[in-house]
Amino acid sequence: MKTDPLLQTCTLGVGYGKKQILSHVDLCFFAGEFVCLLGPNGAGKTTLLRTLSGHLAPLEGKVILDGRDLSSLKSGQLARRMSVVLTVKTMPALFRVYDFVAMGRYPHTAWTGRLAEHDDAVVMEALALVGAEDLAFRDISRLSDGERQKVLIARALAQEPDIMLLDEPTMHLDLRHRMQIMGILQTLCREKGICVAASLHDVETAARVADRVALVKDGGIKAFGPPEQVMDKDAVSFLYDFTNAGFDPVLGSIEISMPPCTGIKVFVIGGMGSASVLFRLLVRKGFEVVAGVLLKNDIDCFVARSLGINCIVQDTVLGDGIEQACEMFDSCDFVIDAGFEFNDLTMHGMDLICRALESGKTLVCLGRDRKRIMEEIMQAGAGKIRGSDIVYCDDETCVAGILEEKMRENKTGTV
Amino acid sequence: MTTAVFTCKDNAGAAYRRMGQRRAVTYTVFCVILTCIIALNIMKGSVSISFGELVSILAHHDTSGINGFIVWKIRLPRALASALGGGYLAVAGLLLQVFFNNPIAGPFILGISSGATLMVSLVMLTGITLGFTALNPFMSTLAAFMGAYGVMMIVMAVAARVKNTITLLIVGLMTGYLCHGVTSVLMAFAEKEQIKGFVLWQLGSFSGFRWSEIQIMLIAGGLICLFVYGLAKPLNAFLLGEEYAASMGVNIRVFKILILMVSCALAGMVTSVAGPVAFVGLAVPHMVRLSFATADNRVLVPGCILAGAVITGLCDFVARMVFSPVELSISAITAFFGAPVVITLVLKRRMTLS
Repeated sequence: MKTDPLLQTCTLGVGYGKKQILSHVDLCFFAGEFVCLLGPNGAGKTTLLRTLSGHLAPLEGKVILDGRDLSSLKSGQLARRMSVVLTVKTMPALFRVYDFVAMGRYPHTAWTGRLAEHDDAVVMEALALVGAEDLAFRDISRLSDGERQKVLIARALAQEPDIMLLDEPTMHLDLRHRMQIMGILQTLCREKGICVAASLHDVETAARVADRVALVKDGGIKAFGPPEQVMDKDAVSFLYDFTNAGFDPVLGSIEISMPPCTGIKVFVIGGMGSASVLFRLLVRKGFEVVAGVLLKNDIDCFVARSLGINCIVQDTVLGDGIEQACEMFDSCDFVIDAGFEFNDLTMHGMDLICRALESGKTLVCLGRDRKRIMEEIMQAGAGKIRGSDIVYCDDETCVAGILEEKMRENKTGTV
Repeated sequence: MTTAVFTCKDNAGAAYRRMGQRRAVTYTVFCVILTCIIALNIMKGSVSISFGELVSILAHHDTSGINGFIVWKIRLPRALASALGGGYLAVAGLLLQVFFNNPIAGPFILGISSGATLMVSLVMLTGITLGFTALNPFMSTLAAFMGAYGVMMIVMAVAARVKNTITLLIVGLMTGYLCHGVTSVLMAFAEKEQIKGFVLWQLGSFSGFRWSEIQIMLIAGGLICLFVYGLAKPLNAFLLGEEYAASMGVNIRVFKILILMVSCALAGMVTSVAGPVAFVGLAVPHMVRLSFATADNRVLVPGCILAGAVITGLCDFVARMVFSPVELSISAITAFFGAPVVITLVLKRRMTLS
C-alpha cells in the first residue's frame, strides 16, 4: 500500500454540463485493492465512475492514472489500462459469448480485429476465471442476468486491465450469483492484482469484501477508508437516512426495527445468543420488547440494540440489573425465557426466571428440554413460587402464537 | 447453429471452422445468384438475347449489332447500376443500423433520401439553375447530394447536442417528413411537364445509366466500401453500446462523424442517380445478419454488398418484366419483396434484431 496509487483524483468535481453532482472528490486506488462506492440512489456513484473511466470530462480537478492526467491519454492507451462493466441490459443479438468476450481484446488487436493465439488464450482464461466456459457458444442475448454479468466481467477481464470499474455489478442478481460475482471480483484483486472499484448497494457485502469503501452522499465523499474505520452505525444510518433500521459493524448486517403496534409488552430473558432470533420475530410481529439482563458483549445485546429494543445491560454477571428488570416486570404482559443454557455466565438469567415466577407473571419458556429443567428449579425453590402459570414452547413461532392469542383475548375483552 | 456446449479449446476451434465453412458457402451462394441475376437482367426484356449470343457479345465487345447495342448501352449498364446501387444502399443501411443501434434505421427512414428528393424537386420543379444555363443531368445529381448531406448535417448538429440515439432518429424522421411537405408544396405550384419528370425520378429507376456514371459509382463507391470494411472493428465495438465502445478505445466523436459521412455518401450517391429507392437499406442488413447468423460486421459488410446487389437486381428485373412494357417503380417492388421476407425471417428466428 506504500506504492503510488494507480488511479487518483484531485479535488475532482463530477456532473453533467452545468449541474455538478459531486465536488472535492479525493480518492486513490491501489493495485490489487477492492474499493466499494456506497451511497443512496442518485448520489452520484455512476457519474463518478463515468468520470473515472474518462467517459465524462471532469467539471473541475482531474483524474490521474499512473501519474498522467486521464484526459491526456489516447483512448487506446486508456483501454489497455482500464476496463468497465456497466449496467446496460440490452445485449446485441446474434452475438456469441465467446465473440462478446473477445471484443475485450479490442485495444490489443490490429485493425482487422483478428484474434491471435495469445488473444484466444486470454479470452478462454477470462471465461474460465468467471466460471463461464460452458457458456462460450451460447447467444449473449439469451443468458440469464447472473450469467450475463459474469460474461460482462469476463469481457472486461479480457481487456487485461490494471483497473476495472464496475457499476452495480450485483444488481438484479440472486444471492448465489451475488456471492459468485463478489468471489470473482476478490479473485481478480488477489490473484491478478487488478484494482477493482465497484459501486454497490449491498452494505453488508461491501463491509465484508471491500478493502476500502467510499461513502457518497450529498454532493461529496463523506468518508473514505477501510470499512472497519468508516462504516460505523451512525455513518451507515446517515448515508441511507435510516430511521427504522440500523447497521451493526459487529454483526456486519442491518436489522430492521418496527414500532410496536399490538399493545402487548413482553420481557425477554435471554443471553448467550439464545434470544436473537426471537427478538427479530417479536419486533417484526409488532410486540414491544424489553430485554434483560444482558451482558455487554453478548450477541443478543448487539442484535437487540440494532433492533431498537430497550435492553438492560450490565458489565458482569454481578450487576444491579436484576432489580431494574424486576421493576419492569409489572408493566409487561408476559415474561419470556429465551431458553439460554444455564451456566456461570447466565446465573443472573436464572435468578430473573425465579423472580418472574415469584411476581406472578405468565412465563413463557422456550426450548425443547425446558420443561424438565424448569420443574427441577421449581422443586428447588418450591416455597417461594406463587400460582403463576408456565407455558412451554418448542420454538419461536410457538411463542408468537401464544402472544397473538393473548392479543385477540385482549381485544374481545375490551369490546 | 450448433447449440452444443463446448468446454475445451479443440471443440471451440472445430465450431469456428464449421462457422467459417458456412460463411464461405453463403458467400459463394450469393455470388452465384448475383451472376445469374445480372445475366438474366441482360438477357431478358422486350428483346430476348440468348445466353450464347450474350457470351459472344461480351467476349468480342460487340457494339455494332442491335443486340450488341442493347447489351452494351442499355442492359449491362442498368444491370450493373442496380447491383452497385443495391449493394451501397445495403451497406449504408447497415452502418446506420449499427450507429443508431436501432433495427429500423435506414437511409430512407432517416430522411437522407427525402432531403435528396427535396433538393432535386427544387431543381426540377422551380427551374432554379444556380447559374447553370441548362438543366443538365448532373444538376439533379448535385442537388441530390446536397439534399442528402443537408439532412445529415441537421442530424449531426443535433447529434452533437443530444446523446440519445432515439431522439436523433426522431429528428431524422421529422426532417424527412418536413422535406416531403416542402416537396409537395413545390409540386402543387409546378408545371405539368416538370412534375412528370420529377415524378419519374422520384419513383426510382436504374434505367438510362451511362458508363461514365457507372465508372464513378464503381470507383468512388468501391473505395468507400473498402473504407467501411476497415471500420468493421470499431463497428463491432459499437454494437455493445457507445459507452463500452469508448471504454475499449474507440474515438467516439470521430467515429460517429465518419459513419454518418460515409453512409450519407453511399446513400446520396445512389439516390442522386437512381432516385429514392426504399427498403433495400432497411431490409437487406437484416436478411444478411440472419443468413450468416452473426452480427460481426467484418462478415456483414461484404455480405450486404452481395445481398444488396442480388435483391436490387432481382427487384429491377421484376419491375421491368411483370407488366412489360409498363415499368414499375423499383421502390414498389423492393417493398413487395422485402417486407414479407423480413417479417418471415424475424418471426421464424424469434429474435430481436439490432
